[in-house]
Amino acid sequence: MTALLEISGLRVSYPGVDEPVEVVHGVDLVVPQGRKVALVGESGSGKSVTARSVLQLDPDATIAGSIRLGGQELVGAAPKIVRGIRGSGAGLVFQDPLTSLNPVMRIGWQIMQPLVIRGVSKKEARERGIALLDRLGVVNAAARFDDYPHQFSGGMRQRVVIAIAIIAEPALLIADEPTTALDVQVQAQVLELLHEVADERGMGVLLITHDLAIVAGFADDVVVMRHGEVVESAPVDELFAAPKHPYTRGLLGAIPRLDSDPSVRLTSVADYVDTFETVDDEPAAPAAENGAAR
Amino acid sequence: MIRYLAQRLALAVVVLAGLLVMAFVMVQILPGDPARAAAGRNATAEQVEAARVALGLDEPVIQQFWRFIGRVFQGDLGTSVFTHQPVLQDIAAVLPSSLELVAAAMIINIVVAVPLGVFAAYRRGRAADVAARLLALLGAALPVFWLGLLLQLFFAGTLKWLPLYGQIGFGMDVPTITGATTIDALLSGDPAAFGSSLVYLILPAITLSASFIAVIARTVRSSMITALDSDYVALARATGASEFRVVVRHGLRNALIPMSTILGMQLGWMLGTTVLVESTFNRTGIGAYMVTAVLQTDIYPVIGSIIVIGIVFIVTNFVVDLLQLWINPRLRDSAWVRRRPAAGIPVAAQAGLTPAGSVGGVR
Amino acid sequence: MTALLPARLRPSSSPRRAPRRRRRGVPVAERIALVVVVLIIVIAIIGPWIAPYDPYRVDLAQALQPPSAAHWFGTDVNGRDVLSRVLVGAQVTLSATGIVLLITLVIGVIVGTVAALGGRVVDEVLMRITDIGLALPSIILALGFAVALGPGLQSAVVAIAATWWPGYARLVRSIVRETRHAEFVESAVALGVSRWRLVTKHILPNSLDPMYVQVTLDVAAVMLVISGLSFVGVGAQVPSAEWGAMIASAADNVLNGWWALVFPGLAIAITAIAFNLSGDWLRVRQDPTLRDGGAR
Repeated sequence: MTALLEISGLRVSYPGVDEPVEVVHGVDLVVPQGRKVALVGESGSGKSVTARSVLQLDPDATIAGSIRLGGQELVGAAPKIVRGIRGSGAGLVFQDPLTSLNPVMRIGWQIMQPLVIRGVSKKEARERGIALLDRLGVVNAAARFDDYPHQFSGGMRQRVVIAIAIIAEPALLIADEPTTALDVQVQAQVLELLHEVADERGMGVLLITHDLAIVAGFADDVVVMRHGEVVESAPVDELFAAPKHPYTRGLLGAIPRLDSDPSVRLTSVADYVDTFETVDDEPAAPAAENGAAR
Repeated sequence: MIRYLAQRLALAVVVLAGLLVMAFVMVQILPGDPARAAAGRNATAEQVEAARVALGLDEPVIQQFWRFIGRVFQGDLGTSVFTHQPVLQDIAAVLPSSLELVAAAMIINIVVAVPLGVFAAYRRGRAADVAARLLALLGAALPVFWLGLLLQLFFAGTLKWLPLYGQIGFGMDVPTITGATTIDALLSGDPAAFGSSLVYLILPAITLSASFIAVIARTVRSSMITALDSDYVALARATGASEFRVVVRHGLRNALIPMSTILGMQLGWMLGTTVLVESTFNRTGIGAYMVTAVLQTDIYPVIGSIIVIGIVFIVTNFVVDLLQLWINPRLRDSAWVRRRPAAGIPVAAQAGLTPAGSVGGVR
Repeated sequence: MTALLPARLRPSSSPRRAPRRRRRGVPVAERIALVVVVLIIVIAIIGPWIAPYDPYRVDLAQALQPPSAAHWFGTDVNGRDVLSRVLVGAQVTLSATGIVLLITLVIGVIVGTVAALGGRVVDEVLMRITDIGLALPSIILALGFAVALGPGLQSAVVAIAATWWPGYARLVRSIVRETRHAEFVESAVALGVSRWRLVTKHILPNSLDPMYVQVTLDVAAVMLVISGLSFVGVGAQVPSAEWGAMIASAADNVLNGWWALVFPGLAIAITAIAFNLSGDWLRVRQDPTLRDGGAR
């Protein structure tokens, strides 16, 4: 299995009040061809910054280390090369479908844009756009192609965003909390859809989320981040069965479960983080109880 | 959409009604006896009374008000004591010249302000941003007429590049067709006169536009910043769109929404500011006409001009409201319009008191 | 440190934000502006005493002298010392501006309070009147009043005040409507305080902050209209040292005596900039969310 995305020793810093503040401290991460990797952590753990640095969307950020996409080194690459991989090398889906679409442009125009700027004819772009939208489960896609974003519901908008992200057929899809802003029911639908489409197209996926609950059914591998560092990285089954790091155990313990005893208080991550320094003193019981299932 | 149109139309009617009431009140509170003025200096008491009846001045105020409204709708704005012409006819003769000036100023306004606002947003905190802020500071502080005189001093006096003031070069003459000198020169097929009238238009237009530019630049800057920071711009970038495409198709396209509203209001305010600019540059126009009338204590031309400028203001704002339907697709959706925060009277009024120069020009 | 991270690094936040310096106290430009404002007010008070020459004495032999040691700002077409006239003009222009704002405030407070506390109908009618006043440029409406009153600085002052109050009425109305439900007011109501006393002793004093900011910001705008009316001949009349009128009388000699034109204009511009900067500073100090280049 060849690596599609290979991040090693990634450091990202931002200009601070007096001196640059480093927020990602040497992250290593691999997304193999066609696999789905979940990058998990609390907000502020640096997971989004790590993922977005692949496309270098933030001009304020200073990036060091190595990011290779399909063998091409991106750190320090010419802007033209970076722009070249945006959309066709890696696509990006954001958290909030309400703000991810330009309110004054027709959704068709926005879906066609990645193709049109690559020289595809309007006619062909339109046909492919409608076909993709149809595949993504938008009913009556051809008729709705010329609608505006405000005429769509949240879940439908996120399908449009996904269409925009994958229409130029990227080998990698980066999904930054793609379901956080959606209703619970819609969340499941959209995840399922992402899964299907990724399999159909042999697309690698880097899913960023704070929610371990959605990881189990989706990802092949899990990478856990905290304070800008990777604390654990393992195949999904392994991680859920036997989390090695106390922080991961904490995350697993914080998931509410239907089959758990309502009288037992959910553990918070902090309960585990307090024991961070004493990794060997196993507070094993709760983690095993909650994490073993699935 | 129909709801939106009805809303905006109702608004236009309310403002128009208010304008007419105010004009009527102004006529009422003016000192002096119109009946005596109409009857003539040596009229007897009976003649004055006859004039009073003829003018309807013996009727109750409400009655007089309706007659006033009726006359206005028939285009009767009274007669100028000074020119002995119907006011409407006078205004029709001078207004095109003002509109020509306003149009030229509007072009300068847009051509300067939009790129400035875009650059100020794109390179926040750098040269263009500083320039935009400086312009805002000066635009709200320099007296329009003084700026005009300084420009005369520099471009006409020191550099001798442009004429001092006036409408067209000495010895040149164009037949009055529309009243706008540049257009009349074009219509009469006189390229030399056209060039000359254009040259004479430059300084007044710059002067008139000066205090409005900063407002548009600031509007464009702030809506560009919102757009450039938004997820949809990040998404467009993430699909490989060029910076130019991001700035123009996404940023500027969204900036059009507030910009068009303010440009519409500025048009009316520019027409008001011609009062100062036309005096500075010795041009004919509605502003100069008003000033002359005030100095002659000639009431009807002043009230008539206020009504005409007010109507121009109301009409342009309504046209902009229509344009908004095209610029902002959400307005076409009645459900969205209903959810939107109440659309009040003109934007400046909606915001309550805004800092000086919220629209630009002299308040 | 971690507490700082999430907000700063929210990926959707601005991609191009210049590093923002932490501001302590009054920024330099605003500090200068405040000093200039004080200086201008002092000049407006003592101007007639520090003027080196009689600002109204015509001496045609001295007409249009360029700036020199004897006449720092030169002399105008009638041989009057421009510096003296600018110094005295500060009093004329600023006192006229002050009177306009005073009348405006009084009308604004009355109309705004009545609209806020009166019934729906009263409110509706008053607000529609303010709409008209806000829709059209003040200078146009002021000309309408000026034609009735005849040319002169006093009529210009009255005319501008008559067109300027709607903004204040709106401001006062919104403040009163807000404070009416504030706790201290409700407890005063509970104590049985009369309506009049409530307005004068409880609501209005608490409404003053936004008003003095607005007044500071309006000094420049009102001054520009006054000088504009004087410039076209509707405001201050001929021998007056009002700044706009001074520019008007220099306008005929643009090419022969720039100094008579430039200095009074500079006086207006500097005064306007100083008041605007000070007003902006007051506004930001009151509402820190407006920082960073104005939310408007």
